Amino acid sequence: MFLRGVGTAVALPFLDSMIPAMATAAESKAPVRMAFVYVPNGIDMKNWNPETEGKLGQLPRILKPMQEFKDDVLLLGNLTHNGGRALLDGAGDHGRCCGGYLSGVQPRKTFVDIKAGVSCDQIVANKIGSATRFPSLEVGLEDARQAGDCDSGYSCAYTNNLSWRSETQPLPPVLDPRALFERLFGNGERLTPEAKARRDKFRRSVLDFVMEDTKKLQTGLGPTDKRKLDEYLSSIRAIELQLQKAESDNRQIDPGMDKPYGVPADFAEHFRLMTDMMTVAWQADLTRVTTFLVTREGTSRSYREIGIPDGHHPLTHHRNDPATIEKVTQINEYHVKQFAAWVAKLKAIKEGDGSLLDNTMLVYGAGLSDGNRHTHEDLPTMIVGKGGNNFKTGRRIVYRRETPMSNLFLTMMDRMGVHTEHFGDATGRLPGLDLA
Amino acid sequence: MLALALLYGLDGKNECRAVVVTTSKPNLKSAAACDAVSKFYAAGGFARVLPVGMPETGKDSESTPLLDAVAAKHDHGIKQLNDTADVAAVMRNALTAQVDGNSVIVVVGPLTNAASLVELAGTREWISKKAKALVFTDHIKEDVAAAKQVLKAWPGPLVFVPSDVSRDIQYPSSSIEKDFAYASKHPIVDAYKAYKSMPYDAPTGDMAAVLYAVREKEGYFRLSAAGTLSVDDGGSVKFAESADGKDRMLLPDPAQNERILKAYTELASAKPVVRQRFRPPVADEKKPEVKQPEAEKKP
Repeated sequence: MFLRGVGTAVALPFLDSMIPAMATAAESKAPVRMAFVYVPNGIDMKNWNPETEGKLGQLPRILKPMQEFKDDVLLLGNLTHNGGRALLDGAGDHGRCCGGYLSGVQPRKTFVDIKAGVSCDQIVANKIGSATRFPSLEVGLEDARQAGDCDSGYSCAYTNNLSWRSETQPLPPVLDPRALFERLFGNGERLTPEAKARRDKFRRSVLDFVMEDTKKLQTGLGPTDKRKLDEYLSSIRAIELQLQKAESDNRQIDPGMDKPYGVPADFAEHFRLMTDMMTVAWQADLTRVTTFLVTREGTSRSYREIGIPDGHHPLTHHRNDPATIEKVTQINEYHVKQFAAWVAKLKAIKEGDGSLLDNTMLVYGAGLSDGNRHTHEDLPTMIVGKGGNNFKTGRRIVYRRETPMSNLFLTMMDRMGVHTEHFGDATGRLPGLDLA
Repeated sequence: MLALALLYGLDGKNECRAVVVTTSKPNLKSAAACDAVSKFYAAGGFARVLPVGMPETGKDSESTPLLDAVAAKHDHGIKQLNDTADVAAVMRNALTAQVDGNSVIVVVGPLTNAASLVELAGTREWISKKAKALVFTDHIKEDVAAAKQVLKAWPGPLVFVPSDVSRDIQYPSSSIEKDFAYASKHPIVDAYKAYKSMPYDAPTGDMAAVLYAVREKEGYFRLSAAGTLSVDDGGSVKFAESADGKDRMLLPDPAQNERILKAYTELASAKPVVRQRFRPPVADEKKPEVKQPEAEKKP
């Protein structure tokens, strides 16, 4: 739904008044959004897991900021990423656990010819992405290096990306709020349809030129260079598709916020800006699939804003020192606190009979459970939101040990209307999530 | 139970690694007994990571005095279903961590769990790549359907251990009474006492499968020519020799009986060993508390 002015169109959120009086239930449904929020270096599980299963009561310390929203939360236990384990590949748990988090595969140990798997967000984006301006959105707060060795022989592409378009092509997260703003909402200028058409034509001619020029290079290249070139060409094709989409969608979105300038030094402010923009993107139905890599896996970022000058990763190897563990717990709490503030906003936005949060399934989790021992079982996993009235929230469910995390993702893909029989190391769907 | 003791005895001598144990009996006490034995032998300091696999439902779910005794008297970590793992998932995950062609799956019960494994999507490739063989004993009649499924679909070599291989070899009650006395509370002894009144000599069919699987080249048993195994509706195993077959039958070799029994008694009753750490301990690292078997504790 748009407000059309002279040469502009402003998208509106999903309003009750948009539902015709005689609309069927199916017609009145708001879109379901799927998002993944990933935090690095594991979690202090003693302060994450509630002692009991079933209805959630008082949440453990790290989850306390979510107490107010406990009825919107599903806490899942015993989910495992077998591909994160060494499986004869030696050190490199950080690289593996993030590189295969959303695909359920074990990434190849290399920092040259990277290979993981297509992530579940991209499987969904490929199927339903044509319904929105952006098939998916990849956001992060820290490091987007794509080359080099970031963990014992594992490429930075594994630790610094969540989303993988193909086995060899990760989708780097947007880190700069200004860049995200411009990607989502343009650079703020209001173009007439004619001016926009002229700009799109110019962009297309530049792309045609680039494509033509690149193809000439293809002969006589070695396999690695050829792969890189293929990836480059497929990126250009993706931009082309985006352009086609933009040409057919004349909306100019009013984000309701000023354009940010650069990356804020303050972590909380950075987190807030990025999540605010993701929220607007969901409200305006610019995308239904989002990944948010809070900080890169294995990060040694310090948190001076909460009085922790030490690096996060070194702290997690705490050697059972209580003072060091306390710092890890505080970082875990700090992350959840920022997340809870975002959840509050999503819950406050009315959409249909419920809230934006009700129409979202937001997974908050990590690829390691115990960051000290690098364990890949009982991964911290919290689903927030009812996924379009699909999930019965307010509960903790502990599955059988070794239950693949892929089973959750397979189940979520179902809820997004994307059905596939095989995914990662899945052994089936997760039972017990649905409304009875 | 003696087959498990033999397996952990061989593991203690670094001749193999027991990477995962599953039970085909959908009863928590059965999983608890497996876990208790594993924990007992791990008391030497070697951590076993993967949980016990158990089917959620199925035949033969009743407990037995043997399982009651072991589960009640020994430390284990199985209190509810979610302390166990899905059989196919845990076996598949165990296989993924092995060197190619270096693992043997030993089944000393019905082939129920092997059937679950072979039916899990994508797992046959792992079996082909990682498993040297599936060695199974004559418990076919307990789940004929599973046996048929496995013999039809298993992508690698099968070795059948018929009961006549061990007909003349009984595990002596004297060994159970004396050789396990290094621990005042031993799960193997408790299991055998609970099974029936001691003294009695125990059958060794299941031990033969373990001994062959780990010491394949030691010549304890004879091996048939290559062929193909199949199962009829009554649960009888048939073997047809064929040059292109991938299966074998284990055959008795009476000349080896004394040697086999010696191996059984020495290995199954071996005291759990304290393993050497792979990495030297760091000076300021707090050492984890190593739980010792009862007899090792000082008064």
